[in-house]
Amino acid sequence: MRRSNRRGIPHGFLMSLPMYLFTLFFVLAPLCYMVILSFLTRAEVWGVVHEVTLDNYRNILTPVYLKTFYESLKLAVICVVLIILTGYPFGYFMAKLSSTWKRRVSMLLMIPFWTSALIRMYGWIIIFRSNGILDKLLMGLHITKEPLKLLYTYPAVVVGMVYALVPFMIFAVYSSAEKMDWSLVEAARDLGASPAKAFFTVTLRLTMPGLLSGVVLTFIPSMGLFFIADILGGNKVVLVGSLIQEQLMKARNWPFAAALSVVLMILTSLIIWLYRRVTKVRDLEGFY
Amino acid sequence: MRRIMKKAALLLAVVMVLMALAGCGDKKNTETLNLFTWDGMFPQEVLSGFEKEYGIQINYSNFDYDEDMLAKLETAKGGDYDLVIADDYIIEIAIEEGLVQKLDKSKLTNLANVDPVFQGHFYDKTDAYTVPYGAGIPLIVYDPAAVDIEITGYEDLWNPALKDNVALIGNYRVIDGIVLKMMGKSFNENDTAVIEEAGKKLLELAPNVRLISDNNTQDYLISGEAAVGFLYTSQVTMALAAKSDLKVVYPKEGLGFGIMAGFIPSQAPNGDAAHKFLDYILRPEIAAQCFEHIGYVCTNQAAVPYLSEEAKQSLSLPEEAQSGEFIMDISAEANETHERIWTEFKAALN
Repeated sequence: MRRSNRRGIPHGFLMSLPMYLFTLFFVLAPLCYMVILSFLTRAEVWGVVHEVTLDNYRNILTPVYLKTFYESLKLAVICVVLIILTGYPFGYFMAKLSSTWKRRVSMLLMIPFWTSALIRMYGWIIIFRSNGILDKLLMGLHITKEPLKLLYTYPAVVVGMVYALVPFMIFAVYSSAEKMDWSLVEAARDLGASPAKAFFTVTLRLTMPGLLSGVVLTFIPSMGLFFIADILGGNKVVLVGSLIQEQLMKARNWPFAAALSVVLMILTSLIIWLYRRVTKVRDLEGFY
Repeated sequence: MRRIMKKAALLLAVVMVLMALAGCGDKKNTETLNLFTWDGMFPQEVLSGFEKEYGIQINYSNFDYDEDMLAKLETAKGGDYDLVIADDYIIEIAIEEGLVQKLDKSKLTNLANVDPVFQGHFYDKTDAYTVPYGAGIPLIVYDPAAVDIEITGYEDLWNPALKDNVALIGNYRVIDGIVLKMMGKSFNENDTAVIEEAGKKLLELAPNVRLISDNNTQDYLISGEAAVGFLYTSQVTMALAAKSDLKVVYPKEGLGFGIMAGFIPSQAPNGDAAHKFLDYILRPEIAAQCFEHIGYVCTNQAAVPYLSEEAKQSLSLPEEAQSGEFIMDISAEANETHERIWTEFKAALN
């Protein structure tokens, strides 16, 4: 039986009231504001006029802005694929380590987070720039003859994004793999499955919730992490995030920025919904 | 034991009373000046000098973009800040929005030090609201050792010899504007068809662009990441200071021009302190310190004798720059076209 106070309000509700209020004020209210703003008209000089219009959404259909969404999506997909390829094995093998080493490795993974992400990106500049560390190394090994222009290129942006986000994948996969019952893999092997088959039918299935939450945790930020594209890409890769920032801060077109944000959110939710449908995983590891 | 407790209690009581008194004192004596501008607009010794002399604490908050400043000022309804230093075009809007108060010139004894060249412009024609604090002209700077051609104007940036070698600032009104200048038009062109045409020409610049950055763009020129830079004045000064063999070009097609100025918001909590600070930075020797620090064109004629020899050269406004054109606010429609061709341009860089 549920315990209630005298007026009949369940205790559970009162306990979670702060959470509801928090969501209401800090998530729902700004979201509503943004959606409303996206239907208004920009003022000639400054601010917005309360004239309802669909022009902001129509404007997004201009080829150049549509292409920005495509570019963001492309970059996010490339990054997530690379993050899976590097992060999944890492998390998987980490779960197989002895408990001392597990602690040491997770510590090592955490250390970079003690400095700001921005500063870590500047570290990559030192590595990538002409006559930088990487150039000197390659020339020292006689692989290249002259300085390469590595900075401000697409690969530089991808490297920066993968570097920034891969720990989220590692931890998600690790927590999933660690809880896994390894005797199931042994059983599969005993029953004659090849190592590969045992991995794909047992291990991968069982770690899927971790992998999926890793994808969600890395895909959403990679749609929005425009500062990496600015710093390592020299502003040459136009992402939705930087477009929104520019519309807001420089072009003073707040309604258009709001409309872009709304579309970005819908797009991201749609992709995640689709992904969950395809992989048929309901619960995300680490989310509950 | 009891005695010790009693003594401890007494001591505690005394400490508390003292703290309360100290708190009172704080409130009465410490006046503050809420200064709102970009990061690094004053040398530390100028700020501390003011605090020491007037006993007014400076509370320095900074913004990255003029638009950010205006949005905050609007939210605060012209309050919260005592003194704002920002760009000309945004000041024009702030005045129109009623967020700026008139200066009390009787409190500005050093106002005559301002070079009249920088007064009476579009954003404040009667000089009722603002005091200029630095001016700038975006210029081309290049490393003659790394470039085979001689650069004399914007047009040369399109030269195929500069492939992947140009660093640009990220202000689209300026970059789109140099194309308009090449076409013999104004930076402030309002005709969208003309702006569209400029956009097409701008796309052809894409192969030459190494990077776009608004912050520390001069660094790429100094490190050799790019051989040519189109930079803000302060960046030009810093580039020359680090690498004196760089060459500065005043593009023949015509120059863009901008003034930064200080103003007091309409509901400033401490407008009096703001006047004191404005007057303080107008003193010749203080102004000289400031201009050597920010690297913008010196708007204080009395400060010139106090500048170092190199600074005298780099911080003075050359003859040809006096015909520079202000970059002003344009119609929303024209602005949207600018923004679109700029995004198209950036997308073509990749």
